[in-house]
Amino acid sequence: MAEKLLEIKNLKQYFNQGKPNEVRAVDDISFDIYKGETLGLVGESGCGKSTTGRTIIRLYEATDGQVIYDGINVHDKKSKKDLKSFNRKMQMIFQDPYASLNPRMKVLDIIAEGLDIHGLVKNPKERKERVVELLETVGLNREHADRYAHEFSGGQRQRLGIARALAVNPEFIIADEPISALDVVSIQAQVVNLLKELQEEKGLTYLFIAHDLSMVKYISDRIGVMYFGKLVELASAEDLYKNPMHPYTQSLLSAIPLPDPNYERTRVRKSYDPASHNYQDGEEIAMREVTPGHFVYCSTKELATLQAISGSQV
Amino acid sequence: MEKILEVKNLELSFHTFAGEVKAIRGVNFDLKKGETLAIVGESGSGKSVTTKAIMRLLPESSSEFKNGQILFNGKDLTKLSDKEMQKIRGKDISMIFQDPMTSLNPTMTIGNQIMEPILKHQKIGKAEARKVAIDLLRLVGMPKPEARIKQYPHQFSGGQRQRIVIAIALACNPQILIADEPTTALDVTIQAQILELMKDLQKKIDTSIIFITHDLGVVANVADRVAVMYGGKIVEIGTVDEIFYNPQHPYTWGLLSSMPSLDSADEKLYAIPGTPPDLLYPPKGDAFALRSDYALKIDLEEAPPFFKVSDTHSAATWLLHPDAPQVEPPLAIVERMKKFPGSRYYEGTEGGTY
Repeated sequence: MAEKLLEIKNLKQYFNQGKPNEVRAVDDISFDIYKGETLGLVGESGCGKSTTGRTIIRLYEATDGQVIYDGINVHDKKSKKDLKSFNRKMQMIFQDPYASLNPRMKVLDIIAEGLDIHGLVKNPKERKERVVELLETVGLNREHADRYAHEFSGGQRQRLGIARALAVNPEFIIADEPISALDVVSIQAQVVNLLKELQEEKGLTYLFIAHDLSMVKYISDRIGVMYFGKLVELASAEDLYKNPMHPYTQSLLSAIPLPDPNYERTRVRKSYDPASHNYQDGEEIAMREVTPGHFVYCSTKELATLQAISGSQV
Repeated sequence: MEKILEVKNLELSFHTFAGEVKAIRGVNFDLKKGETLAIVGESGSGKSVTTKAIMRLLPESSSEFKNGQILFNGKDLTKLSDKEMQKIRGKDISMIFQDPMTSLNPTMTIGNQIMEPILKHQKIGKAEARKVAIDLLRLVGMPKPEARIKQYPHQFSGGQRQRIVIAIALACNPQILIADEPTTALDVTIQAQILELMKDLQKKIDTSIIFITHDLGVVANVADRVAVMYGGKIVEIGTVDEIFYNPQHPYTWGLLSSMPSLDSADEKLYAIPGTPPDLLYPPKGDAFALRSDYALKIDLEEAPPFFKVSDTHSAATWLLHPDAPQVEPPLAIVERMKKFPGSRYYEGTEGGTY
């Protein structure tokens, strides 16, 4: 098995903790991310997938739990210096390429901001060269460096966001819905291809957060499904789509429209009712491994049923 | 079937500081009673502008109808005065917008927003209109409509807001409903619900729908017919089966190939190279030629006319000209064509009816 880059242990992120309007955005989830892989995180809006990403990179302080990056707990109190070196390893690509680029800065300065903060370039000439190199990496060119963000299309802006994230040579990138603001399938394909190429070239590890399940399937090695702050299923991309076990995952997959009219005419949509589990008081529900590498959030009773079903299929 | 709307040779330009942007360059289509026509294409292809032109929602100071007609029940909408248009807009033709977060008024109760078109277009009193509004909310599947009618948009979720927007659009039993990316802002599960709702309502009130989207999965789900737009023109139009299983235009091939399929292996996703044409300087020939692997010499010189593939299917590409060389479409497209009786790759099912 590949090396663990990141371990997330019992991570909790509660907003308004202790108040009547407490929101348990992320409620006790644990998973690992291996070096060089892409872990997809899917779920409906409000399920906590973005909050998970933001808590991992410490944009939010976790309510409880640990995020262990290369053996070091991210949420421990740290000196500014440690934090800075940590920030260099982990970068984020944001969802909205319109809101995440400062409209008053030139592309050169947007991309070089990280270089400046971490003191990675010595003089303006080197700074410019490094930015041009980054622009070329993401399929833009030298002339673009002196423009402002509004002069670019959505797909180009997302490329700028990627270039900015790459500037400090990170190991791990959290991509929070990097393609959902791009409204053309063909442009989405371009950005996804770019992310994949960069991963191969630089050995990057991704946490890819999205609600577009077909793109997630395409880019991810493993996929986690979230529902109301809980991780309900985690499996390899292949396995999850072929053999979804949690009823919520099944309902999510049955809702994806495919570009195939014959399939659409016969598609049966399943709906998920959390009450259907009929959990008894005191029953312990947790992530349990049903088949190797395939985890489902279930009770021991359900586990037995699931294992019986998947056993009979083999 | 009866035609309810005919768009004939529509040309429309925007006047900008940089010059004249020819956003729509000769668009022809018709809409039949009770059908759903999907218009697909990337941003800037003119799909939204076409529907806004039908609704006359484009700013008159900067946009100009250069040519053509939009015939609704025999009346040319491009020629109507603002006052006459106001009687049609929201009553006979209504619209569902993309973003349910911004298309509702945050300072009005949703009841008042649903009642607005009813009071405006129908001669009924407020109490009566309230009843209609409650019925509409029930129709779109809102629980406890009597109580919720007094609430404001921020008290609803995204999916519920889109249901409200649909209720407003349906308030006057429109003959045509224009839905501009109505589910793009929603999650897949909610999207599936809204699409089911729209299909259900269409059966109940027999309205025609123009559905704009870039999601080909959604198109496959809702459409009876599909028009593919590129560079201000329709490049291919046909029934949903013809477009998905027997596409003819290289742009349609590109669109269909860039969708990842759920059972695809790990090969690279197809992305159409390059960028859409600048309509300040529209290309002389086929607008897609520069991005196409299948471009012929003539594509750069002369815009292709429509070639008929069947009675319901035509495409504007020189590849269909009798003198054109026969080309092999991308693999993914050939796979699709194998399912379509009448295409040259069709593989009849064993013992099938063909």
